Amino acid sequence: MKSKPIAMDHFSTVHTSYIVDFDFTNNITILTGASATGKTASFSFIRECMAINLDIVCINYQNYQKDIKKMLAKETGKLIVIDNADILLDDDTRKYISMDEKNQYLIIGRNPKNLFTTSDNLFELVSEKKGEQTEFRLKKYL
Amino acid sequence: MITIFKNKRDIPGDMDYVELNDLFFNQNTVSKLDDRANAIVEKIDASKLIGKYKMESKFNGVTLDIDCLSTGCKTVLNVMYFPNMVFCMKECGDNALEVLYGLETGAVYSDYAIIPFDMETVKVSDKNEVRVISDYEELKEWWNNEE
Repeated sequence: MKSKPIAMDHFSTVHTSYIVDFDFTNNITILTGASATGKTASFSFIRECMAINLDIVCINYQNYQKDIKKMLAKETGKLIVIDNADILLDDDTRKYISMDEKNQYLIIGRNPKNLFTTSDNLFELVSEKKGEQTEFRLKKYL
Repeated sequence: MITIFKNKRDIPGDMDYVELNDLFFNQNTVSKLDDRANAIVEKIDASKLIGKYKMESKFNGVTLDIDCLSTGCKTVLNVMYFPNMVFCMKECGDNALEVLYGLETGAVYSDYAIIPFDMETVKVSDKNEVRVISDYEELKEWWNNEE
């Protein structure tokens, strides 16, 4: 599925020696790949930005008992970042996300079921050493 | 070999099911880690354990709390140290899956197929039977076969 990002086409932040520098080409970005590439670390750096950036909403396993679909329905114009998506998102919520025209999504997980996405939506994380810092960027998967 | 469940209803009553591997690891598994954990952490996360609760980051070598292990690595360690419980395997990347499938014992659950290319022999358990499978296509067929 190709659709332009609603909230932002670029996000960057710095957390001590880590840099997150993401370019978004779709409204739904699925961040997948091997374990230990820095996906959850990047999530935590983005979540830190929620303190000063009202355009970002972050959801992970700590929201396990909450009604995620209801949480999403309250938001407008946000970049919604979901870690642990494979256990948090049921089929109904996935369909809601695929039809949501009010928000943009960065979904960290491996199962694209019911998100109606294509290879255009699938990305993995690449890290690069820059002096003493490590930069994380998105790269098309496969 | 590990045992795989594809339906939560098939999990025996005396086996607890854990979906949140991060939380379970941080609260339970971490206190049980011994020398066996080193090889798992090095293989999946390319990191080193440098104490009971500390690890070295693979990215910049700084010391981190052990809660920074990947969810895939935590899942494998949960399965290894609690063989009488069933753990959700959906958050394992390919590198973690390969190690998970090679464990001597343990139990996992997923309602859809998650199989590494170089799979080891596993035991599958559903309402009809418990059987041993060594072939990728046969395992995929078992998983995709509606009960």
